[in-house]
Formats: sequence, structure tokens, C-alpha cells
Amino acid sequence: MNATMTSEQPRNASHVRQTLIGIGITVAIFAAAIGGAAAGTLENMERERAILLETILSGDMNAAERESRIQVAKTRLVDLERMVLRDKKLIGRNTPAVRAAFDNYDLTFLVHASTEKSRSIADHWLGEVGVSTTALMNARMGRR
Amino acid sequence: MSRKTPPTLAAAIVLATALLTPPAAAKNAASWSPSASEQLIKLPGDYLKKAVDNDFSRSRLAAALIDLDQNISLKQRTLGDLQAAIERADGELRTELQHQFLEEKRNYIDMMKEHQDLRAKRARTKVRLYERLLSKLNRSQRAVTPQQAELLTKQNSARERFEASAAKIDTRLLSSSMTAESKYAREYAKNLTAIESLVSAVKSHPMNQAPEIAGVPVSRGEYLRQLVAENQAEVAVVDQERAILSYMAKLVSLDALALSEGIDASNETELAEAEDPQAGVTGAVEFFVSR
Repeated sequence: MNATMTSEQPRNASHVRQTLIGIGITVAIFAAAIGGAAAGTLENMERERAILLETILSGDMNAAERESRIQVAKTRLVDLERMVLRDKKLIGRNTPAVRAAFDNYDLTFLVHASTEKSRSIADHWLGEVGVSTTALMNARMGRR
Repeated sequence: MSRKTPPTLAAAIVLATALLTPPAAAKNAASWSPSASEQLIKLPGDYLKKAVDNDFSRSRLAAALIDLDQNISLKQRTLGDLQAAIERADGELRTELQHQFLEEKRNYIDMMKEHQDLRAKRARTKVRLYERLLSKLNRSQRAVTPQQAELLTKQNSARERFEASAAKIDTRLLSSSMTAESKYAREYAKNLTAIESLVSAVKSHPMNQAPEIAGVPVSRGEYLRQLVAENQAEVAVVDQERAILSYMAKLVSLDALALSEGIDASNETELAEAEDPQAGVTGAVEFFVSR
């Protein structure tokens, strides 16, 4: 009985060792596969940004209403912008949408860029698309 | 002259021929076909080698090698026992034991040859696997187009800009905004703390070693090249061991021939004694001269 046990002990130990290494490798493969947030972070952010710009440009509301809507959108957009910037799935994804998003930080990440420059979102966006207050003030109404 | 070939000489010839022919191989059934998967390339550090070794240990080739190892050690014990018995024996028993000793030596050489073949097969399979992984790694590294490289640069600079200004932006937003910190920001900060403590635990874990050669950290590609070189060295060593084995085989066949010569010599003496007319007749003279 003892002899059987001693001869089987190294075999069992080797089996246990093999199993443990197998578990380690499986977990390592799983860990390597982890990364990246849920799909669609960029699309969500773009949708929210479009709504914010629509709010900024809309003539159907008064200044107070516009301001409160911008505040709500801003709170939501700051998180969405961070989700995009931290999304590992977007790294190196060479699609037109991703290329366009990272082409101009100031236009894509509106809340971050405008806060960084201590400007309002509207001023910042208009400045980036080439419409300044001075340019607007100097403009004359006319017919083409 | 028309005498038949003595049985011992015939056995020696069979023995010598058998040593030159390839062993009957059950080794064809012993196979190992690892695949160079993408997951294998992504494995960190030393895990790659461990994963390959683990895959091999579950293969039929590994099982065949283990079986053969056990048989070889048993055969060595048998050879030792026989050698000791030959020293104690004499006469016909000694010749018989010597014959058996040669047979066992031949079996031992067969086993060793098969063992070398399996070891070479393992090393060649590993070389092929690591070479495939290396070419996959090189392909994936080369696969970045100029447009993609430009995108990556922009993404990196965007992330750097964000990281540099994040704290300042947080302060400004919280001071100006009527709303409190968002749920995402709170949860993210909480998770980040947990992730950071886990990352530091992973980094300081003794089993989490970056690939290194002689204590020097190396890139994944360099590590793979080192593994290829190590296994090519194994193939070269097996080739050299084949030369040793062929010398052993030659010695066994020479021993077999020498043994057969010894038996022939004693046979011939007996035959010569029998053919000598005086030996028979003179011995019987006494029967005739005495009355």
C-alpha cells in the first residue's frame, strides 16, 4: 500500500502542477483579453455633442433656458468625452469617424477644451469654426 | 568448407543488421501539433514558454517520451544486472549471458534512438511554433499603415492633453456647475483606486516577470528568438548524441562478431580433435594389443 502511494505521489504532484499551470495560463489569456469599454462611446458622445450644438444655435429659446440646457448637456458630455478618451477599443481603429474625432481635439472634446481655455462652450466652438465676436460685430447686413 | 554457418554467427549477423536498420517505431503515433494562436502572442512574459510546455505535457508525444524514459531506466538496470551475472558465470552459461547482454544492448540502442527521435521531434516542433509566432508578431508590428500611425499619434496627444488638464477641468467644472460630481466620475475614481492597487500587486508579484535573458529584460521578439535558438541547440545536441549512439551500435556489432568468433574457435578445436584419426584409433589400440 505504501509502495503504491509513494510511486503515485510524484505522478499526482505532477498532475496538480500541470493543472495549476493550466489555470494560470487560462486566467492570463482572460486577463489579456480584458480591456476597452463598451462599444459606441464615440457615437454616444457625437450624438450628445450634436444636441448641445443644436441648443447653442437654436433660436427657439430664451437665454436662461439655453443656459440651463447647456449646463445639463455639459455635465453629461464631460463624462462621455472621458469615456471616449479612455476607450481602449478606439486605439488605432482606423475608421473615418475615429479619424475625424481625433483630427481636432478642440472641436471634438468641446467641454474639456473650452474649460481648459476658460471660455464658454459657445464661444469656444464658434472660435474654432472661425466665427469670432469681432468678426460678427464687423459684419454688415446686405444682399448678395 | 561446405559447413553450415554456426548459429551464433548467424545471430551476430542478425544483431549487426538490426543495429543499422531504423527501429520499429510506435513513435509515429506520438504526435504534438501546437497552434500559433493570437492568444499565445498576447501572453505576458514567461507565460508563453509555460503555455507551450504545458500544451506539450498533455500531448501524446510527451506521454511517449515519459514511457520511453521509464523503459530506458529499466533497461539500464537490466544491463547492469546482466553485466554482474557475466562476471560471476563461466562456460556455456557465460556465453549465453554474453549473448543476452548483447541483445539487451541492442534493445537499449533501439530505445535510445527512438528517444532521440522523439526529442528531436519535440525540439523541431517548438522551433517551428516559435518561428510562426515570431513572424506573426513581426507582421502585427509592421501592419501599422502611415494613416493609422498618424491616428495613433493624434490619439496619444489627445490623451496626454486630457491627462494634463483633467484635474484643472474637474476643479473648474465642480466650482462653476450647480450639479454634483457625476456617478460615472465617482465610480471611475473608485475603480481606478482599486485598479491601481491591483496593478501594483501584479507588478510586484514574483511570478510576473517580464521576459528576460540572463537577467536582462528583453522585448517579446527577442525572447522568441532566444526560444528558437534554445530549441535549435537541442536539435544540434540530439544530432551529436546520434553519433555517440552509432559508435555504441558499432561496438555492439563488433562484440557480437567477437563472441561468434570465440564460439567458432572452440567449435573448430572440438571438430579438429574429432577429425584427428589417432585420437580415436590410438585410444582404442589398447583394446587390440592387450589380450
